[in-house]
Amino acid sequence: MSLAFAVTASELTKRYGSIEAVRGIDFSIRRQECFGFLGVNGAGKTTTMKMVYCRIGKTSGRLHVLGLDASAHAGEIKRRIGVVAQQNALDPELTVMENLLTYAAFFDIARVAARTRSDSLLRRLSLEGKQDARIKDLSGGMQRRLVIAKALLNDPEMLVLDEPTTGLDPQARLMVWEMLSALRAQGLTLVLTTHDMDEAARLCDRLAIMDEGRIFAEGSPRELISIYAARDVLELAGGDEVPGDGDIGALIVRRERHGSTAYLYNDDNRTLLRALAARGIDPARHVARPATLEDVFLNITGRDLAE
Amino acid sequence: MNPAEAFFRKNSWRVCRRNLLAWQKYAWSSVTINIIEPLVYFLAFGYGLGAYFTYGVHGSLLQYIGPGMLGLTAVNSATFDAAWGGYERLTNNGVYESMVTAPVAPEEIAAGEYIWQAFRATLYGAIFLGVIASLGLVHSWLALLCLPVLALTGVLFAIPALYMAFIVKTPEHLFYYFALIATPMVMFGGVFFPLDKLPRWAFDIAWCTPLYHAVNACRALVTGSATWTTLAEVGWLVAAIAVLVWLPHAALRRRLGN
Repeated sequence: MSLAFAVTASELTKRYGSIEAVRGIDFSIRRQECFGFLGVNGAGKTTTMKMVYCRIGKTSGRLHVLGLDASAHAGEIKRRIGVVAQQNALDPELTVMENLLTYAAFFDIARVAARTRSDSLLRRLSLEGKQDARIKDLSGGMQRRLVIAKALLNDPEMLVLDEPTTGLDPQARLMVWEMLSALRAQGLTLVLTTHDMDEAARLCDRLAIMDEGRIFAEGSPRELISIYAARDVLELAGGDEVPGDGDIGALIVRRERHGSTAYLYNDDNRTLLRALAARGIDPARHVARPATLEDVFLNITGRDLAE
Repeated sequence: MNPAEAFFRKNSWRVCRRNLLAWQKYAWSSVTINIIEPLVYFLAFGYGLGAYFTYGVHGSLLQYIGPGMLGLTAVNSATFDAAWGGYERLTNNGVYESMVTAPVAPEEIAAGEYIWQAFRATLYGAIFLGVIASLGLVHSWLALLCLPVLALTGVLFAIPALYMAFIVKTPEHLFYYFALIATPMVMFGGVFFPLDKLPRWAFDIAWCTPLYHAVNACRALVTGSATWTTLAEVGWLVAAIAVLVWLPHAALRRRLGN
């Protein structure tokens, strides 16, 4: 197994009874990169993450984490990674510091070292002064930060985060983002799931777009945008028909339609608008904007609600 | 990992220490509840009913049910904390969830719970033993050997309670265990009255339940009438633990595994 990769999976499948949550996916996560799984609820992201952090076993396929077979070396893998699960796993009967020390002990971290490390992590996550607080007295953002502190106690090589910022207020979210960027800069491998495009674009070096248990696209945000969208998008409201021939047709890289809105993907909105004006088409209600991951995502998974 | 091996793992003892840490915050109320309740039963039956009759060759009511209540203290402390506590720690508050994210195996969690219930049963039993000693009902230093017997009783009763906690869908279902299994065992386990006047079949059923043997052993040690049979009673407890100890492991692995 190549040491260049933190995680490699091939034909990875997870079945719960008759439900196939993950359907034979392949991906590799490089060391020291931030890799994101982007998808709606139920896409199979959490199941994939749980297999990566050895919380559940796979049904079939191959999965190696830090060069180790996940089904044979779960204990060793857990020792070397940090986990921020979707649900905060905090002990409500213990204080903040007791939570950290109890957790550190499971990794054979000596008491004094655990104490020093906990103090510094609490400072780093702006939780100083909360050592003796009970979990129920912490806000949602503080609880999430405490879970991140816990995940960093064992000085992991890789941090796995399942929806790290879902439900956080904007300030708390920004703080988590800054924290994760700093950790990545220090050389930690980050694996995260999100359904927040902004988060994915901001944090991830590479992304896998998941839907219905499969990976539909993989690449850097920039690559994905250039493949599945274009630099710009012109949204035309109303039913205006835009000709697909001549210079206009050549400018439009890709067209999508959702309801009464047309999405014209192109490399420069200004050129396209000028060409449209030259043809006498003056779209009164239009939005001209750069294409984003959201366009990629919607182009791949469809614009209609799956539910 | 086999259950015996799990007892020697450091992480099992750390699971127990986590419970100790949580318990310290409400230790006084826990001790009070676990001692006062059996004490009230004991005094009411012993002095109240005991004023009207005795158990003949088995002596006074007070003398008879004292060591019986001692065994019962261990049973109650283990049963309620293993059932309710085990359910909470598994389901509602992420205690076990956090442990399995760290390199803690389900077998170590179960072993930690056994060690913890042994500790509780011994502690509460020791306090109750002090109470009956102060009433002049303890007649032999061998009574101190009740403590390891109570530890075994705690483990043995923690096993079905944890198993139930790990398989029920809602905590209300734990009442089935309390009402249909735990309470009959207590009422017909030889705590309150001798079983020699029961029909043979009823006695045979009682013999198959663990409390009967725990109570017999405690009574013999407290009254100073211990014989080799007493050792056999303890052997019965050990054998039952060896047979049943796997149950919660399997259930917990199912819940925390896939």
